[in-house]
Amino acid sequence: MDTETSQPAIIEFIKVNKIYPPDVVALRDVSFSIKAGEMIFLTGISGAGKSTLLKLICAMEHPTKGLIDVQGRELSSITPAEMQLLRQKIGMAYQDFKLLPGLTVYQNIAMPMEVTYTPNRTIKDRINYLLDLLNLTDKKHIRAGKLSRGEQQRAALARAAANYPPILLADEPTGNLDQDNARLVMKLFDQLNRAGSTIIIATHDPLILRDYSAAQTLEIRQGELIKNDTLDN
Amino acid sequence: MKLSAILIQTVRNLRQTWGSQIMTLATVTLSVLIFSFFFLIFLNLKHAGIRLGDNIRLLVYLDHQPTAAAQAKIRSEIRSFGKVDKIVFKSSRDAFAQLKRQLGPDRDVLDDFDPEFLPPFIEVYPLRSLSSLSHINNFANFLATLPGAQKVQYGRGWIERLGYFTQLIRLILFLSGGLLVLTATFMVSSTIRLTVVSRRPELEIMRLIGASRSYIQAPLLLEGLLQGVLGSGLGIACLYLLFNWLQHHFNGPGLFKLLQLTFLPPAMTGAILSVSILLCTTGSIVSIRKSLRL
Repeated sequence: MDTETSQPAIIEFIKVNKIYPPDVVALRDVSFSIKAGEMIFLTGISGAGKSTLLKLICAMEHPTKGLIDVQGRELSSITPAEMQLLRQKIGMAYQDFKLLPGLTVYQNIAMPMEVTYTPNRTIKDRINYLLDLLNLTDKKHIRAGKLSRGEQQRAALARAAANYPPILLADEPTGNLDQDNARLVMKLFDQLNRAGSTIIIATHDPLILRDYSAAQTLEIRQGELIKNDTLDN
Repeated sequence: MKLSAILIQTVRNLRQTWGSQIMTLATVTLSVLIFSFFFLIFLNLKHAGIRLGDNIRLLVYLDHQPTAAAQAKIRSEIRSFGKVDKIVFKSSRDAFAQLKRQLGPDRDVLDDFDPEFLPPFIEVYPLRSLSSLSHINNFANFLATLPGAQKVQYGRGWIERLGYFTQLIRLILFLSGGLLVLTATFMVSSTIRLTVVSRRPELEIMRLIGASRSYIQAPLLLEGLLQGVLGSGLGIACLYLLFNWLQHHFNGPGLFKLLQLTFLPPAMTGAILSVSILLCTTGSIVSIRKSLRL
């Protein structure tokens, strides 16, 4: 995908460190910049720090040291109201899904649209489209707790994508999926990316890395950013 | 914030914690019923006291008939002690005539008596409400110190018993008021906290997807408000049913006839409802502040 060098960064890390108590270093001096509309692969083995990096972007975690800038806002100086608005613009698909097991698939996917007061008709149409795309239509009214892990993963991705977020973060989005369903998920990401969303996919799925191209591939090893491949370069 | 979104969330909350919601509703209803019941008794006793007070007179028996000048002095002394509706001086002859009238067809038994054998007396009609009935003893003691006073007579036993009973009801009213405050705030507060705990994962997700404070807090606030509205409404409705039952079953001679039961006036009913709703909402706010650190 082409990137324009003049385009401002939508996400910027400057010498970011994250240390979990007592002294577990998750990220060390990580610096990178992502432009709006880019699709990024974040690679590295399990425990390398990929999930921590995504959690720092959506302010679920806070850096021990360094600066994180998202959509022109430095996260450490952001007000609660600004944080709330920022989070509405970030779709996050968690590795552990974070679906509410007592709610149906429909109710889970509707949540981000409900908190932004999207009209019911729009919510219904969007959910139907996403369920159809991700092959989950027959699970619409099933409680999330009753789904298989693969179905839960797709439902979590649908929730993350529901609100057409300008930034979408996906943590191991194909980890529980077969090849066919993984392709459906990548199709969804591609659609969002073409519509202007910035997509960051944390993955170590070799098929994804082989079959799909990204503007940048960031590789993390033991908390350090060791490779920053840019497509332009 | 959209009302429909708040309502959907509130219904979801109520469904998830319906057991504790019903317990809280029952407690609030019972507290409002207990408080308003004793308030109703207090109010009716007060009315009865006023009615009783209207009929109360103190009789001061004198050893001799006071002169006109002495009567004026006594009037002035009595009025300086307390508010008095009427003071009537009766001579021995007046007392004799009154007794004759009271005896009716048997009046001839007095034929051989001296028309001045009865002592002269003063009828004092004090202005008072139930709150001052307890002070009637002081008034009687004062009247006993008037020049020439031999004895002061009034319905001392009744007045004292009514006074003590009113004091007791007032005490119970304060206690039940305290009970209402405690149950409304603490029970509602605990129920909301339970809701927050049971929905913690959902609230956490909401926070992560950018739900505003009002979006998360408004349904919990509405929950407390609903507890107040339903609890106090049911409490007052139960009181009304109880009142009708009492009127129906005790509508005869005796104490209830004397009390002439009346229900709480609309303004007072409104005040009890408003205060209960306010207390429940306060309990809800306290709980939200404690449980939700957003």
